[in-house]
Amino acid sequence: MLNNRKVRLMARLAMYEQKEGREDIRLSKYFRTDYVRLQVLKTIVALTIGYLLVLLILVVYHSEYLIRNAVVLDYQAMIVQYAGIYVIILAVYCSMATIGYIIRYRASRKKLAKYFRMLRRLRSIYREEDGMGPAGEEENIGYDSDNT
Amino acid sequence: MIVTILELRARLMRFLQKFQIVIEPLVKFIMAFVVFRSINNAIGHETHLMSLPAELLLAFLGTFTPPVILVLLGAAVSLAHVYVASPLLAILVALLMVILYCFIARFSGKYGYVVLAVPILFLLKIPYVIPLILGLVATPMTIIPTACGIIIYRMFIVISTATELESTTVIEDILALYIDVIDRLVADKQMIITIAVFSAVIVVMYLLRKLSIDYVFAISVAVGAIFCILGFLFAGRLLDTDLDITSIVFETVGSMLITLVFQFFRMALDYTAVERVQFEDDDYYYYVKAVPKINLAIPERSVKKISAKAESEVPAQPQKREEVQKLSDEERYALGEELGEENEENGEFF
Repeated sequence: MLNNRKVRLMARLAMYEQKEGREDIRLSKYFRTDYVRLQVLKTIVALTIGYLLVLLILVVYHSEYLIRNAVVLDYQAMIVQYAGIYVIILAVYCSMATIGYIIRYRASRKKLAKYFRMLRRLRSIYREEDGMGPAGEEENIGYDSDNT
Repeated sequence: MIVTILELRARLMRFLQKFQIVIEPLVKFIMAFVVFRSINNAIGHETHLMSLPAELLLAFLGTFTPPVILVLLGAAVSLAHVYVASPLLAILVALLMVILYCFIARFSGKYGYVVLAVPILFLLKIPYVIPLILGLVATPMTIIPTACGIIIYRMFIVISTATELESTTVIEDILALYIDVIDRLVADKQMIITIAVFSAVIVVMYLLRKLSIDYVFAISVAVGAIFCILGFLFAGRLLDTDLDITSIVFETVGSMLITLVFQFFRMALDYTAVERVQFEDDDYYYYVKAVPKINLAIPERSVKKISAKAESEVPAQPQKREEVQKLSDEERYALGEELGEENEENGEFF
């Protein structure tokens, strides 16, 4: 006989696993610091590429001026100026990315904790079905709390 | 009147649920087709891509792949069109797209498809649906993909006027064209105004819909629409740009109506039956306001067969009873679950 309770639980679990859960489960393989560090690193790489492309567009835009004044330009000052802008943007982005990804990690953990609670409930249903009687509080799998 | 509409809604919802497996891909296909159609209409230069079989094939591809592929396909098709008109501009557009992705678009998360939706809705003359719906369902973070979409749309407008100018391959002219396009992009006031107004609408609606007042969703849509019109009026004056206010008003009203319909199908709340309760536990005192969702039961049409043969009615009786038995079984179970330990399963899960 179909166990409605089990089917409902499994349907919910599958729904979660296939949609937003996929990201959460992938994310659960990281510790928080690792995850945030990886994302910030990705941000830095993306930002560097983006900044270089902006510089490329700027160089082509001003190419006439640059070629005409190639000899008299103060390259040192220019490099300092553009590197300064880069560092400032990088600092802003990194701090914002850190905060953002910490928040995302926390939210994902919360959802995952709920998911594991339901998994445990499903397991207890299986045990009941096997005739082992209702299982009490299951052992902690270790996903309930923030792993830092 | 209202009951009829609600009944219609319930019927439609049930129909959609029943045939979801067919309707979902169909809707996706139509949406993908509209995307490619609009792109082709707006900047069509590559004739192969503009043929109906190509459009259908692309739409078909977009149907069975994740939304991100549709966004990429849209970008690729647009680039191909620009490339045929002017290879240099295509390179510039590709560069700008990569820059846009590196700086902002990569933070758009699950709302990435908004980047594609904004230009398409601009082409369909209902762009204001975007901030109104996002203000209703999403967080202010969606300002990021919205802004990207606006930038891309304005970029293609500038590019499409520029492609008409280019007919030469002399290097100096190419550079002049390049500089001209960049100049126009940077000086595009309408882009700045649109981003500012859309962002403001999203934030205002988000703040408003958090309030605990009756008819808050309808109110926030209305306020968002008014904010949108006033924002364009004010910003247009401030930056001295001639915007077509009449069309903005009409398009905003149209978008508002679409959003209201969307909201009606998303959630219909019964504010006449609001329940307020107050209680406390060890740590908090709670003021709870619960607004019931309207879930109208569809009246079953019973077809009574009147025929000379009486025997056809006889077997119907026990069958019906069995159904009732089954239903009550489930209901009893559901009730037990709600009251019992398993109540967490029943509520909104995530």
